[in-house]
Amino acid sequence: MRKVFFPLIPILVIAAMVLTACPAPAPTTAPAPTTGEAEGETYATVVEAGELVPPVVAQPCEGDACFCRDKTVTVIVNTAGEKGPISGPFYEVRDEFEKATGAKLEIVEVPFAEHFPKLLTDLTTGTGQYDTSIAGAWWLGDLVGGDYILPLDDYYNDTTGKYPKWDVEDVQPGPRDLLFYDEKLYMVANDHDGQVMYYRRDLIEDPEHQAAFKAQYGYDLKVPDTIQEFRDVAEYFNGKDLNGDGTPDNGLTMHLKVGGQGMFHFMSFSAPFVIGPDNPKLYWFDPETMQPLMDSPGHQAAMEALVDLIQFGPEAMMGWSLGESWDHFLRGQAALTFTWGDLGALAQQEGSQVKGKTGAAPMPGTTQYYDITSGQWKQVEGVNKVGNTTGGSWAGVISKFSDAPDCTYFLLALMAHPEKSKVYAYRGWDGVDPGRFSHYLPPAGTNTIDGYVAAGWDPGDAESYTFAYYENFGSELMFPYLRIPGTFEYWTALDIHLSEAATGQKTAAEALKATVDDFNAITDRLGRDLQREIYVKSLGLE
Amino acid sequence: MRRRTSPVQAILIGGVMVVALLWVLFPFYWAFVNSIKKPADTFRSGAWVPFLQFQPTLEHWVSELAILEIRQALINSTIIALGAATLAVLLGTLAAYALARFRFGKSGNANLTTWFISQRILPPVVVVIPFFLIMRQLQLLDNVFSLVLLNATFTLPFPVIILSQMIRELPQELEEAALVDGANVSQAFTRVVLPLILPGLVATWIICMAFSWNEFLFALSLTTNRAIPMPVIIAGAEHTRGVQFWFVGVRVLLTMLPPIVFALLAQRYIIRGLTLGAVKG
Amino acid sequence: MAASETPARPRRTDPTKFFFIMPAVIWVLLFTIFPLLYALYTSFFSFRFGRINQFVGFGNYLRLFTDANLHNGLRVTLTFVIVTVTVQMLLGFALALLLNREMRGKSVLRAIMVLPLFATPVAVGYLSITLFYEINGPINELLRALGGAGIPWLSNPFWALVAVIIIDIWQWTPFVFLVSLAALQGLPADLYEAAEVDGASAWQSFRSITLPLMTPILWLILLLRLVEAFKVFDIPTSLTLGGPGRATEVYSLFTYRTALRFFDHGYAAAQGFLLLFIVSLIVALLFGRIRSIYQEERS
Repeated sequence: MRKVFFPLIPILVIAAMVLTACPAPAPTTAPAPTTGEAEGETYATVVEAGELVPPVVAQPCEGDACFCRDKTVTVIVNTAGEKGPISGPFYEVRDEFEKATGAKLEIVEVPFAEHFPKLLTDLTTGTGQYDTSIAGAWWLGDLVGGDYILPLDDYYNDTTGKYPKWDVEDVQPGPRDLLFYDEKLYMVANDHDGQVMYYRRDLIEDPEHQAAFKAQYGYDLKVPDTIQEFRDVAEYFNGKDLNGDGTPDNGLTMHLKVGGQGMFHFMSFSAPFVIGPDNPKLYWFDPETMQPLMDSPGHQAAMEALVDLIQFGPEAMMGWSLGESWDHFLRGQAALTFTWGDLGALAQQEGSQVKGKTGAAPMPGTTQYYDITSGQWKQVEGVNKVGNTTGGSWAGVISKFSDAPDCTYFLLALMAHPEKSKVYAYRGWDGVDPGRFSHYLPPAGTNTIDGYVAAGWDPGDAESYTFAYYENFGSELMFPYLRIPGTFEYWTALDIHLSEAATGQKTAAEALKATVDDFNAITDRLGRDLQREIYVKSLGLE
Repeated sequence: MRRRTSPVQAILIGGVMVVALLWVLFPFYWAFVNSIKKPADTFRSGAWVPFLQFQPTLEHWVSELAILEIRQALINSTIIALGAATLAVLLGTLAAYALARFRFGKSGNANLTTWFISQRILPPVVVVIPFFLIMRQLQLLDNVFSLVLLNATFTLPFPVIILSQMIRELPQELEEAALVDGANVSQAFTRVVLPLILPGLVATWIICMAFSWNEFLFALSLTTNRAIPMPVIIAGAEHTRGVQFWFVGVRVLLTMLPPIVFALLAQRYIIRGLTLGAVKG
Repeated sequence: MAASETPARPRRTDPTKFFFIMPAVIWVLLFTIFPLLYALYTSFFSFRFGRINQFVGFGNYLRLFTDANLHNGLRVTLTFVIVTVTVQMLLGFALALLLNREMRGKSVLRAIMVLPLFATPVAVGYLSITLFYEINGPINELLRALGGAGIPWLSNPFWALVAVIIIDIWQWTPFVFLVSLAALQGLPADLYEAAEVDGASAWQSFRSITLPLMTPILWLILLLRLVEAFKVFDIPTSLTLGGPGRATEVYSLFTYRTALRFFDHGYAAAQGFLLLFIVSLIVALLFGRIRSIYQEERS
């Protein structure tokens, strides 16, 4: 018996694999999906990557005008492939760039988490393998501090018409600030990151829900304006079936895995607890002593409120990074979330169950904040809202060791061209999020709804989305982005302790105290006085 | 050949084997299922069996196989693993024989063995930068040869330690008889010792292959383009938007392919090696 | 009987020995001496912007004693090592014993059992995110189908470590299996035949022949597994990245973060040497044990 049985198992398994693989229909000809999901499932319009492409704006060069002949421009970028976020547009533009300059474009893709260490290894050893890196905004503290990248003002101000033109004033003030460091331009605008709140328009506008909500909470169901309202809405929808599949869904979703960029959640969320009219800038450190401010009563209240919200999300989100959390929202299993622009665009794509149902608004605010400068809680009239640019805002910087900085700048400027940028912003797959006036609809900006609709957007979603970003980036109060040496180390400490608080290993106060201790150790190691000097300068306090 | 198995034992052993097979194979099956799911189905409940529970798609396979880098990476990985394992086993077997059959001072043998083991203790991340500098100096950045050299170095302790023990367990009389018959030391080594330790030789060779096959950190820091092996490609399935599980599925199965094909091709020789080993004594 | 079968100690001393050992020694020295000295050198410096900043003497080594996060890494790693290595040794050896017999299809079975060794750990870690997915991953669905409750695999500090341990056991048990099987096949068949003629039971021949003969190689396998397990990195990094909090932040991950996330290369080197010291100590202790096995031939 046994003798026959053993070899059979692997053969059966392999045969099963082969059989199941073969008759699967080719992806393009797949008919209406027949998945075992709930009936009435609608699939959004398919915007296949590559269907909508940005216009060619650079003319092919001839003769001497090909000023980059025999040169190679090497770009290092997060791995995502030819049709992936941030890296995709480089493959798209390669041909145009090579024809316009005579240069060769080489694209080096590196796993997201290893991009910065690989770049820094190259720079610290002076190896010079890369001309440009599509960098995260928080790297600038180290890249400029270590004198590894070139200021770009001369290229930007060039009037000979050598480079494609893009307008830095077109970028909204919030993200614009991230392009500069120490008053010099170091990055060419590309992606614009900031977190806004996403909600389900269909749920908020549903009369049944409106009535039930009012009966329960005593006020009208509406887009949450304050964190308290955000909590109420999350609590109300938690446990209700939100996508008609007969199973209870969640009030909200977040990504809180260590390394899953959860600390950005805390930053965007906690901003209105600390930042307010009387304290527009102090969030991270006391500028005189570099003593961390992370355990202030404002930070504590924010941490407690965030941990309290976790009960309205799936328990699994403690182990989630972006993808899983977005997925949860896109499948209609959460009523609320707050995250980057990618989600709004992804909601329009195939597989999304929330197309035409996704609203966006700036992060909810508070009615009081803890003013660190005076050491007391302050009430505000109306709602205290704080915009943010949390995230990477992935954009090009040019290495000091580049042997073709002018060709490299040409490439980055070409991709920053307003006509190209507009198309990048429409598409969800390319990961380039909106943040320019030319991305927005009137009266905020100069774009038209037609472009979005042609790109497969639901007009209502597009309107809500672009206005949310316009308001967020244009907010009077902005969350102070940290860009000093060692920023990533500080953020990692915050990320880990946030996870500890979220999973009940520490109380909110303990987690923040531990964050302060870690911050102090980092500051002492990097040199307190040096760090203080750079921090003060980065806040523009001098 | 050994003890005969009773029917009760046979059923028992059979049962254990089935459990062991399921345990070993299930993650591969899951990788396969992931690779033919639409992204939206990745985390859907009850999606175990294609067609019955979800509509499979070949789009990830099609798009992944179209990527030139992945094909190149498979070739690179094969070169690195084969090259490094062969080099390591070659050098290691010689050293193992020396440690098993010769005396190096009072406690030299033990010290040398410990020294070889210690090569595997230091966390690799501590020496990434100096290795980067060495390879830059040798002009071997982004060259598979650098990874062959490094992996041979790092896996060398396995053959040294495992094989020296196996040689030590061989009766020394066999070699002595060969020597008496007029063979020199290296002939005694190749004709008497090597055939007898063949099972161990094959096992350590597989282990060196596996370690070189999976090595990630140095592969990452020493390659940029042409020389990238599979582990770096696999790590690239994690985007800023999180892990692309469907690509992980395709890539991990593709990565398994060369070893499986190779095992099938080499099976005849491996079995012969194992049988040769078994008749001794 | 068994005692006389145990190996003879090395006895020859003629210069031919150098012909055998030198290639490996020179090779390893050639490639590792510079990196080792480089790491030693940097361990006396502080870093800024990824470059050497300042000489700090033994400052980096002193930090080892006060860094609570490092101690956490050591604790997590020790727990991990003890559990995984014990289970792998038992499982791997047991499987090798089971498969060390004549049966049809055994070569295919053996090949399958070795497959996990070739599944790149980074990939296995990512794959495990879907396997251990809490809401409706296959493992929790199976548990629920069997009438149990789902386990909070990745959101709970305890279960996250268990998940990492399970995956490591899956991946590295084949190592023990492979080497023990090779060693089992080298055991002299005539001893078993003699034992069978004497009417010894399977258990008796296992106790009096297999186990004593296998003991030295099993110690070595244990040693190699220990050394590797102490350096565990890929699986926790790709599965949990040390979380939740620091619940699965193993030592190597901590060192990795220090070096390639925070660019504090000097401190990372000091951490590396601490691990080298600790594991070497364990190796030395184990080696003492191994040597005592050969005691009878010392004379």
